[in-house]
Amino acid sequence: MRVTDTYKFGSWLLVLFTLTAPWVLPLLVDSFWVDIYSEILIWSLLAASVNLLLGYVGLLSFGQALFFGFGMYGVAIGVVKFDLGFWSAFIFGISLATGMAAIAGSLAVRLTWHYFAIITVVFSLIFYFTALSWKPITGGDDGLPFTIPPIISFGDYKLTMTNANFQYFFIVTIVGACYWLMYRVINSPLGRAFVTVRENDARAALIGLNVYLIRLTAFIFAGFIAGVAGALFALFGRYASASYMFYHVSGEAVVWAIIGGVGTLFGPIVGTGLMIVLREELSSVWDHYLLLVGVAVILTVIFAPRGIGGAFKALAEKIARQQFSRKESGP
Amino acid sequence: MSNVPLLEVTNVNKRFGGLKALQDVNLSLETGKLHAIIGPNGAGKTTLFNVVTGTIPVTSGRIKFLGTDMTNDKIHRISRRGLARTLQIKSVFANMTVRENLWIAAQSHHGVFSPFKSWKKCVRSVEMADIICEQIGLTSLADQTASNLSHGDIALLEMGLALATEPKLLLLDEPICGMGPAETEQTVIKIQEISKSTAIIIIEHDIEVVFKIADEITVMANGTVLAKGTPESIAANSDVRNAYLGDDDDD
Amino acid sequence: MDLVFALALNGIVWGLIIALIALGLSIIFGLLDIINIAHGDFFMVGTVLAWTVLQTTGNYWLAFLLVPIIGFGLGLLINHAVIQPIKNAAALSIVATFGLSIILQESVRATYGAAPNRLVAPIQETLLLFGIQYEVYRIFAAAIAIFAICVFFGFLHKTKLGTWMRAVRFDPEIATAMGIPAHRIYMVTFGIGFAMAALGGVVAAPITTVDFQGGIDILPFCFMAVIIGGLGNLEGTVAAAVLLAFVEGIITSFTDPTIARIGSLIFMSAVLIVRPHGIFVGATR
Repeated sequence: MRVTDTYKFGSWLLVLFTLTAPWVLPLLVDSFWVDIYSEILIWSLLAASVNLLLGYVGLLSFGQALFFGFGMYGVAIGVVKFDLGFWSAFIFGISLATGMAAIAGSLAVRLTWHYFAIITVVFSLIFYFTALSWKPITGGDDGLPFTIPPIISFGDYKLTMTNANFQYFFIVTIVGACYWLMYRVINSPLGRAFVTVRENDARAALIGLNVYLIRLTAFIFAGFIAGVAGALFALFGRYASASYMFYHVSGEAVVWAIIGGVGTLFGPIVGTGLMIVLREELSSVWDHYLLLVGVAVILTVIFAPRGIGGAFKALAEKIARQQFSRKESGP
Repeated sequence: MSNVPLLEVTNVNKRFGGLKALQDVNLSLETGKLHAIIGPNGAGKTTLFNVVTGTIPVTSGRIKFLGTDMTNDKIHRISRRGLARTLQIKSVFANMTVRENLWIAAQSHHGVFSPFKSWKKCVRSVEMADIICEQIGLTSLADQTASNLSHGDIALLEMGLALATEPKLLLLDEPICGMGPAETEQTVIKIQEISKSTAIIIIEHDIEVVFKIADEITVMANGTVLAKGTPESIAANSDVRNAYLGDDDDD
Repeated sequence: MDLVFALALNGIVWGLIIALIALGLSIIFGLLDIINIAHGDFFMVGTVLAWTVLQTTGNYWLAFLLVPIIGFGLGLLINHAVIQPIKNAAALSIVATFGLSIILQESVRATYGAAPNRLVAPIQETLLLFGIQYEVYRIFAAAIAIFAICVFFGFLHKTKLGTWMRAVRFDPEIATAMGIPAHRIYMVTFGIGFAMAALGGVVAAPITTVDFQGGIDILPFCFMAVIIGGLGNLEGTVAAAVLLAFVEGIITSFTDPTIARIGSLIFMSAVLIVRPHGIFVGATR
């Protein structure tokens, strides 16, 4: 019982911190940490999309940056080329990513493990190179900057993301909604079907589950989450760039998810937060801090393949068992 | 309805490269009986199960289940038609609890996978899981993770998975393989209980058990059906004695 | 027309070097069941080591001898420190080798520096070949690559160790039961894989740039060769590498090289989905 209490307490602390961050962080450290925290929240969605696939249906995707990039370019191209408003551009970006996930997924989920990982890299590379060479549309290497349209405008009054606090809470709301959605799906019959396929796909088919369709659904959902992350990041940075579609970005997301702990809802936030804070703190002090990241990745895979979240879960279960056995043998 | 055979296998062939695993197999099984398939190793018994459940495609021939052709249909479609099986190497969902294992099997049969409802609120499957738990005698272990179960309990759970899909026909592939005498006895009783409500085809090496529980026995050898009949007629069949029971004294 | 010919020839030379590197990737996958994301960086380390040998001794030819040996040693070291500990979690091997890739790139950047360097080829002459002036070094590079590939296949088919490697690839359990020291075979395999990529680096360094990011472009190409040739099909890998580089070379002569690369990647996806065992495997398998 006490363990779930700790867990609940931790979650509430996270929520409280998130809601007060724009005032607390400048007091504690520096106001630019508010932006970094926004960034952590956005990138954690990309890690969460890796986690949905790896942690819940058992597919290792090394190409989630593709959908991040589609979300990003959808917003930028929507604003620059089609003159879309804020919401239409946002929705356009997410739809583009989700649609791409449906197409890529229908091919990719025919394969599993190594082959699946390779084909996801290949898909993301195809579009990375396309974005690089298709300069009139994507801006190639330089990227595609844009001016952010207002969210609502009444005559002269305009509500825009240039207001720092408003931007922060917009990001918090969208990211929060995504986690709520993931929570619902994971605890739904569909989420159970995901886990069943992860556990044993041959058995899952024998009890009547359409393994292909379940994997595809998960893939599209993960693509949607990555697309939201990309669309948010475009709005946050006011530009889109091909470099975010490279497989190194996908790889980083995999690293964050694994260090945070796959198969846990909040693992990706923990992993992303830890690694980004590490980067911000270390990169100014030590130019080659990436060495440390590489070592951390290998050590995690060797010694704690279930990451921080998994280690916490294991500890919680151990304590629960001890309490249980004490109750059994107690007076 | 009553004159339609439950399972009808017509001229089924299966080749793996040059190896003929099944040769012109013909079988017609009626509903409401406990059938057994026996035969030496390599006779094609498990291959027959594999083609019937859609795990591997047939090279030629037709398979009908309750009058509907389902040759080379997708595995999950065949399962939803009401054909369930257990595997020779026992397999369940290891990191899920017993209850969750049974719940997903029951839910899968109803076929609704809402992404928003809480899975614990799918009352029908929750109830079904409890009923099956009771039926296979694992109620006390319902909240244990499947990977913590004993070998015998895993075999029972696997049977429970099959039952939770409310099958019309249950295929059991060596259900008591690797069990001790006590577990064997317990499992055999369960199988007999189940056979009162569900048709069963069982592959089993333990001849004693087979002759005790089966209503009808099919003998296979070298990928073909050698004989089919009641336990008494099989016991008396000289072909079977020569080709299988006599030959196989090294087994 | 001259340009097409030169680019096609360049393609074949490049394809042979890629084949050499990709063979290492393929045996590491075939024997250890590990997708080595760091393989491009093994090549990159080879180019940097070659540059270092040239700087310290002033003799590039020494690099052809020294670098593969150093590479083999590094391979053994990495196998011991990273690969063996993750053998039980093969599913996450991609992630671990991704970490390895970060470490290799960053160590090179820390020691060698971030600026790319160009090497002067040890042979400066050009040769009149079918009407064009062609660099002799490139022909020499192709010859070295062919020689190394032949030595590798000879080793695999004619020596005891090579036979053992093939046995372990075929079935590790049976091989172990027959008394083959599978553990040592894994070690040697990884060493050879690194050595071959490093040799590829020495051969290629004078015709490309020496740069800590030099492996990033090589990796997808190696994967294409391995996949299109068929994972574990070594002869197929060589054929696919040469064929791909040749075709890309020709396409490059009348359009953007990136478009040639996109074309190859699409072809590779099709192969993965339709014929995951590669295009050279007959329908019987």
